[in-house]
Amino acid sequence: MSDTLEHRSAEPAELSADQLLDAYRRMRTIRAFEDRVHEEFATGDIPGFVHLYAGEEASAVGICMHLDDGDTIASTHRGHGHCIAKGVDPKPMMAEIFGRRTGTCHGKGGSMHIADLSKGMLGANGIVGAGAPLACGRALAAKLAGNGEVCVVFFGDGASNQGTTLEALNLASVWQLPVIFVAENNGYAETTASSWSVAADNIADRADGFGMPGVIVDGFDFFAVWEVAREAVTRARRGDGPTLMEVKLTRYYGHFEGDQQTYRGDEVERARRDFDCLKWFRTRVTTNGMLDAAALDTIDAEAAALIDDAVAEARSAPLPGREDLETDVYATY
Amino acid sequence: MGSSAVGIVANPLAGRDVRRLVAQASVFPNSEKAKMIQRLLAALGAVGVTDAFVSTDVGGISAAVLRSLGPDPAAGRPEWPTVHFVELERYSSTAADTAELVGAMMGAGVGAIVCLGGDGTARAVAASCGDTPLLALSTGTNNVFPEVREATVAGLAAGLVAQGAVDATTVLERDARLEVIAHSRVETALVDVCLTRAASRGARALWDVGGLTELACVFARPDAIGLSSIPGLLCPVPRGAGHGVVLRLVPPRSAPAVVRAPIAPGLVVEVGVASWEHLHRGRPHMMGTGGGVVALDGEREIELDASERVQVRFCTDGPVRIDPSATLAEAAQRRLLCTLPAGAYGPGLPPSNDTP
Repeated sequence: MSDTLEHRSAEPAELSADQLLDAYRRMRTIRAFEDRVHEEFATGDIPGFVHLYAGEEASAVGICMHLDDGDTIASTHRGHGHCIAKGVDPKPMMAEIFGRRTGTCHGKGGSMHIADLSKGMLGANGIVGAGAPLACGRALAAKLAGNGEVCVVFFGDGASNQGTTLEALNLASVWQLPVIFVAENNGYAETTASSWSVAADNIADRADGFGMPGVIVDGFDFFAVWEVAREAVTRARRGDGPTLMEVKLTRYYGHFEGDQQTYRGDEVERARRDFDCLKWFRTRVTTNGMLDAAALDTIDAEAAALIDDAVAEARSAPLPGREDLETDVYATY
Repeated sequence: MGSSAVGIVANPLAGRDVRRLVAQASVFPNSEKAKMIQRLLAALGAVGVTDAFVSTDVGGISAAVLRSLGPDPAAGRPEWPTVHFVELERYSSTAADTAELVGAMMGAGVGAIVCLGGDGTARAVAASCGDTPLLALSTGTNNVFPEVREATVAGLAAGLVAQGAVDATTVLERDARLEVIAHSRVETALVDVCLTRAASRGARALWDVGGLTELACVFARPDAIGLSSIPGLLCPVPRGAGHGVVLRLVPPRSAPAVVRAPIAPGLVVEVGVASWEHLHRGRPHMMGTGGGVVALDGEREIELDASERVQVRFCTDGPVRIDPSATLAEAAQRRLLCTLPAGAYGPGLPPSNDTP
């Protein structure tokens, strides 16, 4: 067992070219997926709500690059990016969003409930603040099993004010659970600015009250997130307990599709122009010679093709039928 | 001649980087920075400063200061200077905010600037504040340039300096700096410049000495925290020596000299030094081949191409630093904070009723 832990603790100091390409592919796939869902939602063919993750890709990918299928994540209502970063197949995800039988959850969950336990994705979650207690439970199981697995919970600035999240921070520290709390602070709880609603000025400041380290990281910068996450994951695997990471970023679309966004100015336009994580990543890896621009272009094209196929397949897939009503549910009627 | 205005700049992001995770770096919440500003204001008011220009931010520091002004902020507090909040059109949460805030304070004619942050914050302020006296208070992590000092005392010193109540030649010191020229970019470091083999700026902070290859320091104190402690413990260079120092770093196992240096809070590590030499004015040092990242004052800033080199120059035109100890010593000598009976300015205390 200790061998496993030591092996798992050996996080690389730098990323290899293959890892960089993998990271870029995951980020680009998320962007292509979300941009396309944005377009498809406007057609009226997608049932329910969708909350898009575009702009925040460096957070999910920078963190999930350190995880394998045994490690788990708990997500939010804005969960598509977390799913893709954790390795969930985008095609059944798209089908799920379209409510089709071929979806990740057979078309019964929709955008806010995509879960794939085979990939360690415990689920997107429509309840704000519900992820942190789930993560503690999963981390307790990992700790008792001694398997070195860790659990990451993503939550937003709104959820950071929920009792569930605060209780989970306390419990994780009391039990020294292998949890990484990732507060993705995009500045708004739905339409309320965090500066109006979060009493601690930085969410990371709350870590001190719970006896764990709290770190702020630039969520537009994949490399910054990756490096901080490496330390947090290593710490959790080593048995040193939880960490609170506050990732500061901007979501490119509204809180939900259809949000008129009258509560914010031109910050998205500026973020897209000046800070965009994909642009920044490309500039850096090509400038310093780590990757070739053509390899990134190829990934762009492949991601676009993958999402085209995902939408085409989703649209042609069957809806769940009457016979599906009593499957995948706890109670039968 | 002096100004009765002082600028206060606080960095809302200082003190929260990855060193809380990889080392046992101290935590400095923004609520404490807001309290420091209030203590500064109390001290500035006590020495007669009439106007304070306070930075605004989106991290809650200026909001807490505003709340402390009571239900009618415009009326202010009688014991404080009038507080003017310096606002920006927009906030980028980068060093550019600091530069813009300092520029506005200079425009308002402040006679001194107090900044709250770490070496990174002080660097950003120093780059914009010209010859305005600077007092940097530590709220960051690797604090070589900023001082750990009670804000009340710092406020007294800054207020006295701003108003010209003390002799500038005694209490102010012009620091040296390192100028770093890379691409078309020109940057300043107040303490150290280091080349690392890291592939990216990553989380900015530098805590892994494995990849360090070259280090240049403006000065090197034996009791420093951070990279300058490496020469500080091997070949110290006092502030004001008129030269800096450059070291070539190698893995400890192949090094002629090995230093156990406190390179970050809680991290005392072995660093191998192959050679060192003084860095003189007018004799630039060329750093780098084969890529890497250049760190300024402990934070990775400039990513290099494989073929690129950077020029590091020792310059004597750094910020004008307020020495609070010297300032208060002179204030004591001149009884600036005392009220005494006429004729009681000679040696010894004035007569007291308790004296037998």
